[in-house]
Amino acid sequence: MDAVTAVAEIKNLRVEIDGRAIVDGVDLRVLPGTVTALVGASGSGKTTTGLALLGEYPAGALVSGDVRAPDGLVGYVPQHPAAVLNPARRVGALLRDVARAQVRHLPRRERRTALRERVLRALALARLPDAETMLRRYPHQLSGGQQQRVVLAQALLLGAEVVVADEPTTGQDPSTKRGIVEQFAALAREGIAVVLLSHDLDVVRALADEVLVMRDGHVVESAPPERLWRAPRHPWTAELLASGSGATRVEPVSEGATTLEVGPLTARHGRTAVLRLPGLTLHPGACLAVVGRSGSGKTTLGRCLAGLHRHHDGEVLLDGVPLPRSLRDRTRQQLAAVQYVFQDARAAFDEHRPVLHQVARTAVRLRGAAEPDALAEALTTLAALGLAEDLVRRRPGALSGGELQRAALARALLARPRVLICDEITSGLDTVTRKGILDTLAALVRDRGDLSLVLITHDPATAALAGRVVVLDAGEPVEEEAPARRVMTGA
Amino acid sequence: MTGPRSWIARRLLLGAAQTAAVVLLVFALTEALPGDAAVALAGDQPDPERIAAIREAMDLDRPALERLADWTAGLARGDLGTSLASGRPVGTYIADGFGPTLLLAALTVALLVPTGVGLGVLAARHEGRFTDRLVSSLTLGVYAVPEFAFGVLLVTVLALRLGWVPPTAVGYGTDLLAHPAALVIPVLVLLSRPVCSLARLVRAGMIDALDSPYAAHARRYGVPGVRVRYGHALPNALAPATQQLARTVDWLLCGVIVVEALYVIPGLGTVLMNAVAERDVPVVQGLAVVFGVTTVVLNLGADLVARRFAPRTEAAA
Repeated sequence: MDAVTAVAEIKNLRVEIDGRAIVDGVDLRVLPGTVTALVGASGSGKTTTGLALLGEYPAGALVSGDVRAPDGLVGYVPQHPAAVLNPARRVGALLRDVARAQVRHLPRRERRTALRERVLRALALARLPDAETMLRRYPHQLSGGQQQRVVLAQALLLGAEVVVADEPTTGQDPSTKRGIVEQFAALAREGIAVVLLSHDLDVVRALADEVLVMRDGHVVESAPPERLWRAPRHPWTAELLASGSGATRVEPVSEGATTLEVGPLTARHGRTAVLRLPGLTLHPGACLAVVGRSGSGKTTLGRCLAGLHRHHDGEVLLDGVPLPRSLRDRTRQQLAAVQYVFQDARAAFDEHRPVLHQVARTAVRLRGAAEPDALAEALTTLAALGLAEDLVRRRPGALSGGELQRAALARALLARPRVLICDEITSGLDTVTRKGILDTLAALVRDRGDLSLVLITHDPATAALAGRVVVLDAGEPVEEEAPARRVMTGA
Repeated sequence: MTGPRSWIARRLLLGAAQTAAVVLLVFALTEALPGDAAVALAGDQPDPERIAAIREAMDLDRPALERLADWTAGLARGDLGTSLASGRPVGTYIADGFGPTLLLAALTVALLVPTGVGLGVLAARHEGRFTDRLVSSLTLGVYAVPEFAFGVLLVTVLALRLGWVPPTAVGYGTDLLAHPAALVIPVLVLLSRPVCSLARLVRAGMIDALDSPYAAHARRYGVPGVRVRYGHALPNALAPATQQLARTVDWLLCGVIVVEALYVIPGLGTVLMNAVAERDVPVVQGLAVVFGVTTVVLNLGADLVARRFAPRTEAAA
């Protein structure tokens, strides 16, 4: 046995829902002061295993096996920290609630000051500066990164010996990501055991002391990251690691013709200008990536093109004809020509109707196709994107995030668009699924000749697909180059 | 972003405009009614000459717009005008009627909030079990009974059969506090439906809030159950209930005509009924101003309270 005793341990865990094992035969040893990473595609059982350390299981689950964890001393940082912060309570109250149990042994008079000291110390450890202002804020007044640190501060106040972090870097831009990595490294230096559930391989490689590769509820391989990257033993591990590399770049067919042209454009939210663009040209068959941190105005740019944001003074020309600013004033042909795929595919589908009918609807509404033709075309398009007929005849709830994102792509394609705007469509997907979507996009542009892509993203691997990259910072393009190396490195 | 102060100012301006619109509408509608104060005063045997004489004495023969302009000018000085029927200032009508109405409303709200919230929380704590089913079906059942029917039922049982309380407030004048027994039935009737809607709203909100990830997180970190319930979940559940409460208070203050008529309580509702019957336009208009202002202020207050409970929802004017 190791010289160090594990602070938490899972032996032969099996979690079964409706007769299907979502986690089977998982062993996990968590050592103090180390980072243990669970990697794998979505649905591989990472979160179920992580939550087992907290003693929490999905509703109606059949659990067997042995889970030993310090009782009440396991902290949890979920993927969406805002969800666990009560919107009606100030940060100070949220932190004091957790700390109150720790000062109960003190005489009543001393509790107040002790409470305050502990809260301030936890804020400092969680690297939240300007504690006084922070304590008076409501959760919605904080950025995503700050919310995450507040949740972390709660775990520290609890005196947690183990912290389970679920996808802490998903959807964050590269510089925020680096901050989060440092944060968890510091946590481990304090002697806290960190269990990292992630599909972000760069982060895992930078942080983890031990990596467990999961697939379909089993641990297929476990090793320190150096060994794993050097010599993966299991074929699945090799595939997973390879998915981290970018897709093939799409080069425009012709530089001469122009699909979309944007004049000088200033977009506003209320009175604040959020985007100032000198101009933009999109060639047929080209792929343009718009990258930048959150709040840099990249989504606003996409929304201006699609007619979803009409408070701008620029002119958007499609094949030389100006497009009306608002979606409502565009003709069906114009609507069909510029299509938009949203980040949250699940929210973009009606959960009560089969996916196939929702996809086919585009052809009926925008191109006036007959219902049976539309359905047939939808089935072909969906099949080409790797979605089988029996799957798409179901409701959105039966499809995974990656599958739904493909269906959303198919729905946009049924309009036979000239310009396809993809807004962060790969964030929140695991690397294998992401690679699949990116390959699909590259193939689409190749096969459809006149289709142009606008990829809004902060993910370097996604941006690598584009022949041209526009980097936005605080609403202004800081550089436009092909390819943008600086973004790739996250500088 | 604009601060809450400019938001309140905008809301108040909007409210003033809404009140003005209500007053104009009421004026136009009372003009459109057949007959006027002169006809009402002339009695059962209307003699056209007599009506014309009364009309002239009351200045009713002047164009409607001119009368409206005069009345508006008076309003600017804080003068609501004089009643056509009695010649008394409209202000005294409203002041007299406001006492009983306010008393009824205050008593009702004082009982309504703890009962409604308490029942809602109780049902939410026992979601799907016997207590919840009992509270839910009772509240649904009582809510379905119209207040006049419930009122008659209570009078029959409590006053006529059992004789515990007087059936109406006849003969007690405006000093109802001296006769608390006369208030029991009216307050019960006023309470019946609001308690149900409030309890059901709080129950639904509490179930959502107790089921939320933040409540689970608080329990996970050892926050005691009472604190999770009342400190974490309840504020989130109260935001929608506040709006409902504002509407209820509005309804209570702006004259609960049915209940006042049923129990002969000389509140604002009775004043309004009599004024309409006598075509007493100045009194009706004065009441419209008071009701309009009350509604605007109450809703603004409710929005402010809801903002405190659910600070995330940016209030929109």
